[in-house]
Parts: sequence; C-alpha cells; structure tokens
Amino acid sequence: MIASQAVRLISASPSRPRVRAVGAHRARRVERQAVRTHRVARRAIAASSWDLRIFGLAIAVIVLCFGLALVYVSQTTALSVAGYDVQKLAAQRDELRRQNSLLEVQSARLDSPARIAADAQRLGMVHARYVPVIPARSLAAKR
Amino acid sequence: MPTVRPRRLRLLFALFAVASLVLAGRLAYWQTFGRAELLARATDQIRSDLVVAAHRGVIRDRNGAILATTVELRSLYALPSRIPDHARAAHDLGVLLGRDPAPIRAALDSGAEWLYVQRWLPEETATAIAALNIPGLGFLNEPKRLYPNDAIGAAVLGFVNDNGDGVNGVEGYYDAALRGTDGRLVVERDPSDRDLAVGLREAVAPRDGADLTLTIDLVAQTAAERELAAAMQKEHAASGSVLVIDPTDGSIRALASAPTYDPSAVRLADPEALRDRAIAWPYEPGSTMKAVTIAAALNEHLVKPSDAYNDVGYTIVGGRRLNNALGKAYGPTTVSQILERSLNAGAAWVGQKLGAQRLADYFERFGFGKPTGVDLAGEVSGTVRPLAEWYPVDVGTASFGQGVSVSPLQLAMAYAALANGGTLYRPYVVASRRDADGEHRTAPVTVSHVVTPDTAATIRGMLLSAVDIGIAHNAAISGFSVAGKTGTAQIASPDGNYVDDQYVSSFAGFFPAADPKYVVLVVLEKPDSRLLGTLTATDAFKGVAQDILRYARIQPDRRP
Repeated sequence: MIASQAVRLISASPSRPRVRAVGAHRARRVERQAVRTHRVARRAIAASSWDLRIFGLAIAVIVLCFGLALVYVSQTTALSVAGYDVQKLAAQRDELRRQNSLLEVQSARLDSPARIAADAQRLGMVHARYVPVIPARSLAAKR
Repeated sequence: MPTVRPRRLRLLFALFAVASLVLAGRLAYWQTFGRAELLARATDQIRSDLVVAAHRGVIRDRNGAILATTVELRSLYALPSRIPDHARAAHDLGVLLGRDPAPIRAALDSGAEWLYVQRWLPEETATAIAALNIPGLGFLNEPKRLYPNDAIGAAVLGFVNDNGDGVNGVEGYYDAALRGTDGRLVVERDPSDRDLAVGLREAVAPRDGADLTLTIDLVAQTAAERELAAAMQKEHAASGSVLVIDPTDGSIRALASAPTYDPSAVRLADPEALRDRAIAWPYEPGSTMKAVTIAAALNEHLVKPSDAYNDVGYTIVGGRRLNNALGKAYGPTTVSQILERSLNAGAAWVGQKLGAQRLADYFERFGFGKPTGVDLAGEVSGTVRPLAEWYPVDVGTASFGQGVSVSPLQLAMAYAALANGGTLYRPYVVASRRDADGEHRTAPVTVSHVVTPDTAATIRGMLLSAVDIGIAHNAAISGFSVAGKTGTAQIASPDGNYVDDQYVSSFAGFFPAADPKYVVLVVLEKPDSRLLGTLTATDAFKGVAQDILRYARIQPDRRP
C-alpha cells in the first residue's frame, strides 16, 4: 500500500476526541512511514533506472567495440586482398615490361643492317659500288 | 565412500607444484632470455629480405638503335623428386632444347634436390616447355645481357660476364655507371610466399644504371665489320682493325677488330678474339707514319713540298743503309713525291732534317707513346723509346714508321688531326649518358694543336696526290676527293729482329679531302699478299667509305 492510500484511510475513520488523538498520532506515524516507504520506493526506482542505464551503456560500448573490431578486421582483410591484387598487378606489369623488352630486342634484331644485308643477298640483290649523283644545278638547268 | 589418504594428496600436490614450477620457469626463460631467439625464428618464417637488382643501362648507337640491353629471360629448373617419369621428361626436354637427352636424364637421376636444366632460354622454347606441363619443372626469370646485332660492335661494346660484371669496351669502362645500385626489400610473406600488404615493409628502391648513347653509327660499324671480315677472309690475315673517326671532334663512328666474337656467347670465343685490336694492339705503322714526319718538317719550315733530293734507292743513316721498298731509285724527288711514291730514303732524308729531338717531340705531340685516353677499357700506349735510348739510325727508321709502335687508334687520331687543320682531339665513344639526374653530354676535348692549319692544308694536298697520282691510287673513289697513305711495315720479332716476309698492311685516309668529314684506317696483320696487302686494305677502305658517303649523303666534289 502506498502512502497516499494510507492517508486517505486515516482521514475516513470516526472522529471521537481520544480516539481522534490516538488516531492522529497513528496517522502521523503511518504518514511518516508512508513517506519513508515512498522515499525508499523512489530510491529503488531511481536505482533500478541507473542500473538499466549502466547496462545499456555497457551494451552500447560492447556493440561499439564489436563494430570497431568488425570494421578493423574488414579493413585489414580488404587491405590484404588489395595487397594481393597489387602484387598480381605488379607481376603482370613486370611480365608486360619483360615482354616489351623482348619485343624491343626483336625489333632491333630485325632492324640490324647486317641482317637486312644478309636477307637482301639471299634475295639476289648486290651491293651497289657506284651510285650516280645528279647535282641539283644541272637538273635546274635542264628545266 | 572410499577416502583418499592425506599423505597421497600432499604427494600429488607436491608433484603438481614441482611440475608447475618447472613449466613456469621454462616459460619465464623463453619469455625473457630466449625471447630474442624465438622472435627471430618466428620473424624468419615470414620475413623475406631481398636484393632488388638494378636494371643495367641500355647502350644505343648515335641514332638510337639498341646495341646492348638487359632482358629477363626464363631459366628452366627441375625438382627431380617431383618429376614422375625422368626418362620421358629428359626426352621431351632434349627435343625442345635441341640437346642430347642423356645428360639431362643423368642430371635428373643424380639425386640433386634442385638443378638448372638450362638457363636463359629463348622465349619460344620456354613457352613450348611450359606447355608440356611436366610436374617438377619450373622457371626463374634471370637477367641476361643481349646484343641484337650479334658480333657487330663487339670490340667497342665489350661484354658482361655471368657475374654481371662488364668486361672490355664500353661495358668494362662504364661498368659502374651502367650497373646502377641495387635496392633492398624487406617484407613479410604469407605461407604461399606472397607479399603481405599489412605488416613489415622496408624498401630501398634500386637506382637503375645509366643509359649510354654512343658516337658509333651502326651503319658505319656494320660496313667496317663487313669490309674487315672480307679482307681477313681474302688475306687469311692473323688479325685486323678498322676505325672510322669524325675528325671534327674526335668521336669514333666505327671501331672493328678481328678476330671477333659474339658478346652474347663469350664462352665460345677464342680468348685472342677478346682483345680489341684497335686500341690494344701496338704495331709498327710503317709508311703511314711518313705523313706525320713530313708534316712535322713542314711545320718547322725545314722543307717545302717542292724541295727535292736525289733518290738513289737508299740512304745511309747512323752508318746503316736504309732502302726504299724493293730498292728502287727514283732520281730527283720532291717532298710531295716522297708520299706519292712512299720512299723510305726520302722520309729518312726529311727525318734527318728534323733531327731526333724534334722528331721525338712531334711524335709526342701527335699522341704516340701514351694512351689516347679513349673511354674504352684495355688501351695500350704503344712505344716511343725515350730519346736517350735512340740509336743514330733510329731517326731514319722512325721517319718511315719502323722502330716505334702505335695503336691503330693513335694513328687514326693523328690523321684526324692532319685532316681537321692540326687539332688533336681525345677520342671518345660515349656521346651522352642519361641517368636519374638527367642527360650528360660528352664535350670534345682538345689535347693539343699539333701543326698549324697551313701545314695541315699542305699535307692534305700531298696526301690527296698520293691517292690521285701516287701509290695509293687504288683508294680513289669516283666523284670524291680522297686523301690517304698506304703502309707496309715489317713485324718485329721477340729477338729484336724483323720477321721474314711477314708484314702489317694498312691504309689511312680521309674524305672529302677538301673538307674532311671522316677518317678511315684499315690495318691487316700478316696478309697472304705480303707487300701487296695494302691493296686489300685500300679495298676495305673504299668499301667503308662508299657506304658512308651514300649513307651520310655527302655530295660529290669532283666529276666522276
């Protein structure tokens, strides 16, 4: 029973003088007790509310930590995967560079004057020992 | 209910306590004193400390054609224990590698855990072997120096040995610049030997070697090699050399040496072929030296081209008789005719006018007896004995190129000085060097002014006559003025005498004579034609000169 109900019960009893005096004393006592009970109840409610808050906070902290750990792990994993990708790309780049170098060498081999001369000789061409040069002046004079 | 005696309990407790103490002690040891060792072991399992090799620089000719480059080729290795059928694998590899399968099989059966089957495979071969999918075979990429023009330019380029060190030529001289500086990579790896992106990573980037651009012209070089090879084959000469020099700055446009070798396959080369004859072969130049002697006398105003002496076929110097070739006498002979007819007696007469002191001084001015300073490894200085060691006869013999030894490059540079108006340049083959700091160009270096421009012009005219109407007529090229001088020299033997009937034949010339753009020197050792070896040398000169004239688009300066 809460304090306010007790007060109402007391005030509803018969009102003879002695009985009234005793009743008043009892009523005060009951009232005090009711107030005390009310305070204890309020304290209990307050304490209960504080526990709930702490519990909620703890849960939140745990969830936050878990979330942060999850983010960290996912980032680390993503970084590792990206690292492997980078490594693959670097290997691909190195291989392409190697192939490019080989092609450059092949191109240089094909451009080699000695190779061209040998191929020309195989085709029956001969080295020109004399190349006539017509001076530009004589050409202009003919025009 | 059975009860346990307290004594047994105490004993059991004591045993556990001791065991716990021992374990705790051991744990404490590994966590304190043994920590470093454990940490090192754990780190070694995941950490790799690699040397990142610097890329060796590329060598190109003056027009950018690649002469030498480094490419990573695949090397084939085997883990014999993982190859299921050694006989079949050896057979298949033998077919693709073009090798006898037996040695391959023997290597696979040798019990080795790991071995190279063949290093530096051609790409097509490596691809074909990879397609076989034989378990236990794998490839490693290894750097290999390649020379796309094979033996062309071997003497000037040098080579790189299996340790990666440059030897001879440009590879040897510029080894430090070409090789660069290796880097380092410390990284953690996963069990599959892949780099981990997270974790330890320390990297020092490699500094790649410098790229070199040479003064060498691949077309001129190819012509020089071709003509030298033809002359060597025709004359069965012991060795030979061809040099092409730009007299305007001393740059070397072509340098050929025979016998030669393929720098990609040095193991197969004759060790004698590794010597660059153009810079490392001191020989007595013979009559090509007469131009230097006469230039010195002209420069000292001791003779004029028209001055004459009576040629009786020989002259006496220091009590010794010095004969003309074949002992022929020509009667009244001018200084110009000494070159046209290549007269030893005439050269000795001019030499006597100069005197030993001035002749020796001029030899020094022209750079004989000391290295030219060319940027190639292995140059020799030749020999001009100190004046105090000269015998009286030496002033006569030295005048026509006997008793002194020079390298082909020294003589070519002396002719370049006569061609360009009297300036002796230091020869060089590297035109520019490109590294991380940018491009560094080589500036021509003037060593000295050996004769006046007037003297140089006079001697050019005399050498032109030697080709037009003289003994070197075989070197004439239709439509172009060519100046030059033949040389036939006896070969000194180790006992101090001369070898019988064996000679060094040479021709040194430049063109166009009025404004020389190129100096070409051809030298052949011990040609079969002996005294007529100069004809082959002049043929080689013409072959090189005609290619260069066409290639350089030099206009004819004469009517054909």
